[in-house]
Amino acid sequence: MPVKKEKEPLIMHPRPSSIVAALYTLRDLDTDVVILHGPPGCSFKHARLLEEDGMRVVTTSLDESGFVFGGHDALVEVLEKVIERFNPRRIGIVGTCASMIIGEELHEAVTQVQPDVPVIEVEVHAGYRDNTKGVVMALESALACGIISEAEFERQKALLKEATMVEKRHGAASKEYLEPNRGDLKYKVAGRLLELIKQGKKGLNILNAKKETAFMFADINLAVAEVAQKLNAGHNIVNMVNLDDNVGLPKNRRNAQEIKGDLKEKGFKIHHTIGGLDEYPVAGNTAERIISEKYKDYDFAVISGVPHALPMDNIKNMELFSITNGPRQVVPLKEMGHTHVVVEIDLHPKTLGVSHIVESEFGATLRELAKDA
Amino acid sequence: MPKQIAIYGKGGIGKSSTASNVAAACADEGYRVTIIGCDPKSDSSITLLRGRRIPTIMDLMREGIDIREEDIVFNGYKGVKCVEIGGPEPGIGCAGRGIIVAISLLKKISSAIEDTDLVIYDVPGDIVCGGFVAPVKKGLVNEAYVLTSGEYMPLYAANNICKGLARLEMTLNGVICNSRGALNEEKIVSEFSKEIGSQLLAFIPKDVLVQTCERDGFSVIENAPDSEIAAVYRKLAKSIMGKRDGKIPVPLDDKRLRELTRI
Ligand SMILES: Nc1ncnc2c1ncn2[C@@H]1O[C@H](COP(=O)(O)OP(=O)(O)O)[C@@H](O)[C@H]1O
Ligand SMILES: [Mg+2]
Repeated sequence: MPVKKEKEPLIMHPRPSSIVAALYTLRDLDTDVVILHGPPGCSFKHARLLEEDGMRVVTTSLDESGFVFGGHDALVEVLEKVIERFNPRRIGIVGTCASMIIGEELHEAVTQVQPDVPVIEVEVHAGYRDNTKGVVMALESALACGIISEAEFERQKALLKEATMVEKRHGAASKEYLEPNRGDLKYKVAGRLLELIKQGKKGLNILNAKKETAFMFADINLAVAEVAQKLNAGHNIVNMVNLDDNVGLPKNRRNAQEIKGDLKEKGFKIHHTIGGLDEYPVAGNTAERIISEKYKDYDFAVISGVPHALPMDNIKNMELFSITNGPRQVVPLKEMGHTHVVVEIDLHPKTLGVSHIVESEFGATLRELAKDA
Repeated sequence: MPKQIAIYGKGGIGKSSTASNVAAACADEGYRVTIIGCDPKSDSSITLLRGRRIPTIMDLMREGIDIREEDIVFNGYKGVKCVEIGGPEPGIGCAGRGIIVAISLLKKISSAIEDTDLVIYDVPGDIVCGGFVAPVKKGLVNEAYVLTSGEYMPLYAANNICKGLARLEMTLNGVICNSRGALNEEKIVSEFSKEIGSQLLAFIPKDVLVQTCERDGFSVIENAPDSEIAAVYRKLAKSIMGKRDGKIPVPLDDKRLRELTRI
């Protein structure tokens, strides 16, 4: 007997796109130029942002007649032009809703043009429930081109599965509708945090950030450490970061190194490394284990990045200070029991094209308040 | 690798009945055969299943079924594996996209198109959009056949199909004439085949047996194995299973096509 799939509940608020997820993955794979095969405006904002990271994104600009007559010739033309203009060492071709619905075969253009550099073809559209599908598809294609190893592919796939679960449990996919929310006032939350540090309370200072967003989230953990140091309470703070530079795709390793370099220079001591920059869905479990062994009795915890990926079991009695960049993450975090939730609005765009830690609003607020302390 | 064939031709010309009879004849010879119905009408396999209508991939998708191989691949006459893709309600949604989705699902969950000797894609008469050539574009078809009668309109359609094949750089492996009783039919189709750079593989006579067997839910091979027309289907099946190289067809211009049918 055919088995019915459990019907996935409807989610109405807009969520990350699998096309965009494929684009970011291609960037992580050090792709030089990506051709978006579809209408000119598709994924515009992210395409533009990714250029800050040095990758070029171009489009085949399909129009009404492209939809009707097919876009093969346009793709061939753009592919040839890309090779001539950019002389890339690695090319990506990414599908869009329009080109995939009309049955465009990305590979046909590649067969015709025969570029002598690897081409990662991703036949993706935005109609997948989980945007991680776009990442998996890009990685599958990279695997087929021999750009990543089977082992790395399996590792990434397992992480993505966890990431999807994290979002389903307490993230953007957890409710039919999530109201965007600006979070608690940074000034007030920073004040309360200072108070605890001044009182000599013991605190965990955890960075669990997704990939390049760590360039700004790390600034918050840095500010906490600096402020505690200044108030002679440095010994009360334990730092945990997901900055292992021995795992992940090349860009993620580079970024972990860069951030660690900055932290070291500023005298920030890493007490525990809980994973790599792409391990944010599982690094929380490592943190959880360490906490249960050593820090169960701590008074507060600052968690920046993806706070909802940290299991609550051993931290639920602590006063939690959580910093996210998703306005739709505020309500779920509050419901989980996070006491204070702060949003770093528009964080991601500011972490593209950088190689050093970027100042955060919450970090700046904390430092400023500490001046008068 | 199995022989993977698609049969093209004008709507109603006899593709599905030819496909199912060829499938049955090959099964008689001991070949493992899979037939994939790509027409939203989903009538390709019915005569291999004693008139039973199987659930189509699109039916199950619509119902939100977690589709497994056993939900969509059914054993018909002598173990012929039957799959129907189906489609949305006429006039709604996008049947072409349905074929793309179904083909990639089938590839993922079933070995029926790999672990076999012959796969027949029974496609609709009108290749109205990109989705309908998905089996070809995904490299799942390595031989194409055109079915036509000797009348002008079916030949016109056959010639158009040749244009499409040439554009896809797909070879044509033979022409099959399914007779509608037109004058000089065999000669016309034979001449057409030669001029487009192919050859006439079989001349299937018009025989009411095809329709009576069909009405009862059988192929001619199963229900009238000793009939003359069953022998024709068997010969065609043998010829298809034999090794033969195809050629990219050269379509005729309309003027020549009209001349040809005037004989
Ligand atoms: N050789 C034949 N003699 C008599 N009737 C035929 C013959 N071939 C096909 N038919 C009938 O023609 C009708 C259309 O055939 P079908 O195979 O459904 O066409 P298609 O699949 O090309 O649309 C069917 O009722 C079928 O029984
Ligand atoms: Mg048919």
